[in-house]
Amino acid sequence: MSRQIGRSVDPKKVSGELFTLTYGALVSQLIKDYENEDDVNKQLDKMGYNIGVRLIEDFLARSNVGRCHDFRETADVISKVGFKMFLGITPVVTNWSPAGDEFSLLLENNPLTDFVELPDGHSNLSYSNIMCGVLRGALEMVQLDVDVRFEQDQLKGDNITEIRLKFIKRLEDAVPVGED
Amino acid sequence: MADEVLFELLHYEIVSHICNSSNEEDKASSISKLEALGYRIGLSLVERLTKDNPRFKDDLDTMKFICKDFWMTLYKKQIDNLRTNHQGVYVLQDNRFKLLTLISQGKQYMDMAPRYLAMPCGLIRGALSGLGIVSVVTAEVSAMPACKFQIQIQRL
Amino acid sequence: MTIFNLYIFDRNGTCLYYTEWNRRNQSGISKEEEFKLMYGMILSIKSFCSRLSPTDLKDGFLSYRTSKYKLHFYETASGLKFILNTDINAGNMRDNIQQIYSNIYVENVIKNPECKLGQQITSELFQTKLDDYIRSLPQFATKLS
Repeated sequence: MSRQIGRSVDPKKVSGELFTLTYGALVSQLIKDYENEDDVNKQLDKMGYNIGVRLIEDFLARSNVGRCHDFRETADVISKVGFKMFLGITPVVTNWSPAGDEFSLLLENNPLTDFVELPDGHSNLSYSNIMCGVLRGALEMVQLDVDVRFEQDQLKGDNITEIRLKFIKRLEDAVPVGED
Repeated sequence: MADEVLFELLHYEIVSHICNSSNEEDKASSISKLEALGYRIGLSLVERLTKDNPRFKDDLDTMKFICKDFWMTLYKKQIDNLRTNHQGVYVLQDNRFKLLTLISQGKQYMDMAPRYLAMPCGLIRGALSGLGIVSVVTAEVSAMPACKFQIQIQRL
Repeated sequence: MTIFNLYIFDRNGTCLYYTEWNRRNQSGISKEEEFKLMYGMILSIKSFCSRLSPTDLKDGFLSYRTSKYKLHFYETASGLKFILNTDINAGNMRDNIQQIYSNIYVENVIKNPECKLGQQITSELFQTKLDDYIRSLPQFATKLS
């Protein structure tokens, strides 16, 4: 007899547990591989970047979202379409800088850290740093050079998880040598 | 709930990180590293999946669980065929193994297949270990995306 | 009606993929040279179109037509450029190119870890899927007499 485990079956979704456990296994592997936790953070960011540059194409193909007019629209799309599509959450967009070139995403529940507890002695580790890389890579592919970092992290005892995004510049299409 | 594309890209990125960070002659060690990673995930995952389930009555019953529920959780489909020699060897055949379907439908990239099968082998071994069965799991591909996992139960 | 050829460029101007079906005349220059000229021409037309536009352009340059062929252009927000040449009766191919992008390129290149981004596409699976799709189109059906 087949044992049914009561799980909703959405063909495009994987179990949150599987995802969180896989990510956790990666982070602990990196902690073993590198002596320095800054290097772990860097590696997570790099891997996130590699994911982001591919993920954006799937995002564009599925969402039918065109180019955004300004950074505010970009912020909205990241939260309401991007996070929603890939992680099932909608972070709050807030804390805009006066110039409108910086904002924060507030995550009440970070799916990467469900049932994760950081043991003592990992104060430099930015556990979810892969997210920064994903955002950076994805935005770079739509010609936005953006600096992304964690400002607050519930894993470290903060009340909320906050990702800060700062617009640096717009990237231009490559023009081949000899062209105007 | 995470999107499966994100999950697949994460898996591929883990594979590429582990395989590219080791030297050429270290191929075997990166495969076993991936397998060990899968083992840890499989072990924790099966604990969560079976916490409300009664114990399985025998090895075959456990294998059926791996073929159905466990595979469903991992790859959104069941194993297509389960065979056993009744002496502790089980062969699980997946005719369209999820992680291979987008890579190739034939012989192209064949030499890369072991990279993508190491973690799944570890996942099976980890899950079985969590259910009290010690085993060795290997994978075999003759034409992608079909794939066979062989489980050899180790009697202690 | 028929379809002649397809170019896919990434945003750095690298030709990721080129294939042809019923193209009978060649340009008489090397493929590399042809790719360069094609990419350069597309960039120029794009910039010229937006400069001349009396109002804000939404999609920008879409296609041009000669007496013998029609060139269809589609660009994604990520800067991928698809160029499809058909005969002049093919009509609007935008939806078809969009299909090639989302169902064939994203599925078989982006999601295939063996396809390295920014490099020529060598996946046979991609080639087969693309070829099957193009040949299944009504625009492909009748060959030039």
